[in-house]
Amino acid sequence: MTDDMEALYPFLYSQSTDLDAVMSSVRQSTVEKIDEIVTLRRTVLMRDGDRIAACAEAMAEAFAAGARLFAFGNGGSSTDAQDVATLFMNPGGAARPLPAFALTADVAVVTALANDIGFEVVFARQLAASAFAGDIALGLSTSGNSRNLIAAFEEADRRGMLTVGLAGYGGGQMAELGTIDHLFVVPSASVHRIQEAQTTVYHALWELTQQALTRTEAGDGDDGP
Amino acid sequence: MDQAVLARVPEVFARRVGPALGLADEADAVARACHAMATRFHGGGRLIVFGNGEAATDAQHIAVEFVHPVIVGKRALPSFSLTSDVATITGVAAATGLEEVFAHQLRRLAAPRDIALGVSPDGGCVNVLRGLETAHRLGLLTLALTGGDDGGPIGRSPAVDHVLIARSADPRVVKEVHVTTYHILWELVHVFFEQPGVLDPRVIP
Repeated sequence: MTDDMEALYPFLYSQSTDLDAVMSSVRQSTVEKIDEIVTLRRTVLMRDGDRIAACAEAMAEAFAAGARLFAFGNGGSSTDAQDVATLFMNPGGAARPLPAFALTADVAVVTALANDIGFEVVFARQLAASAFAGDIALGLSTSGNSRNLIAAFEEADRRGMLTVGLAGYGGGQMAELGTIDHLFVVPSASVHRIQEAQTTVYHALWELTQQALTRTEAGDGDDGP
Repeated sequence: MDQAVLARVPEVFARRVGPALGLADEADAVARACHAMATRFHGGGRLIVFGNGEAATDAQHIAVEFVHPVIVGKRALPSFSLTSDVATITGVAAATGLEEVFAHQLRRLAAPRDIALGVSPDGGCVNVLRGLETAHRLGLLTLALTGGDDGGPIGRSPAVDHVLIARSADPRVVKEVHVTTYHILWELVHVFFEQPGVLDPRVIP
């Protein structure tokens, strides 16, 4: 019976075999990618764990002094910027809401600046218009080379903001600027794994900022240098 | 430096490891979801994505992932999120309630051959569930990224064809597993495209 069916519909059987092989390789690929991200996060912790804590403390001090956070990025990183903003603004549970904006959320402003001046100013001009000294600028890029981020960090530095940068690969131009107080470079060549580890970095910054603020307000945050 | 904050860092990172490795247990479900998505794209379907709060940013991330591939040479695939049109979202929410915002858009924008993907970290978002139920009724392929133990009401819904669960009680950790999951979904959908013979509807298991 099967032989007759196969004679009638040979494509069906050859493709079923192909499908099994593809399904198997796809499952294996999933397991490999998971191993990559678990290893990459371990590397980030070893390289930057202490610096993440120091950055969160600086952010907590800034918020305690009345700072607002401005987050920015392009493409997938723009969605991370919006995630950062909404995480600080509306964390849910017992966590304390903190003032934060995403500079990618207002399409009217972004398209007006891009159309009239150029895309490289879309974040810098918004910081020039809205940010004060002591506010926080947090920019995310996988390459570290986005021109509008470079311009935004230069503007933020000029204005005396606390600057936090997340980059990938070797850090790109963001690593050469000298305008970023706290720069975290995720050492990977995969855009996807970089974004996944960056998500962990900003989640850690948020959680530790909450902890540092709570301790500062309780008056037990002064454990010395 | 505040030693208590410093001491917390390793614990924050350690909390990610188990749930990330747990995604390997879903490898078969991920493969089946990718194959079903690739088959729909092959037939002219589009990917429509939605979620609330932080998951709204995932919806937009997923849409841009498919529309503008990060790997040169990969085909752009049609996708859009239902979270970007603030005028429609606030308009529907004010007129009929927040639980209708995704279902309303799906009824007007979706075609039966499309794919609906809802993101809900605890599996309990009423508007995401309603969107998936509406999509299922319209004939769309339905997928959900959820969290918790069993994926919540969305994970248990018969309207959802493929459920991928991030097993953590921490919504930030769930999100991180979701980001890895949708990066893998995107990449592996393209693996099926490179084997067009396996996209014949007659060989879907």
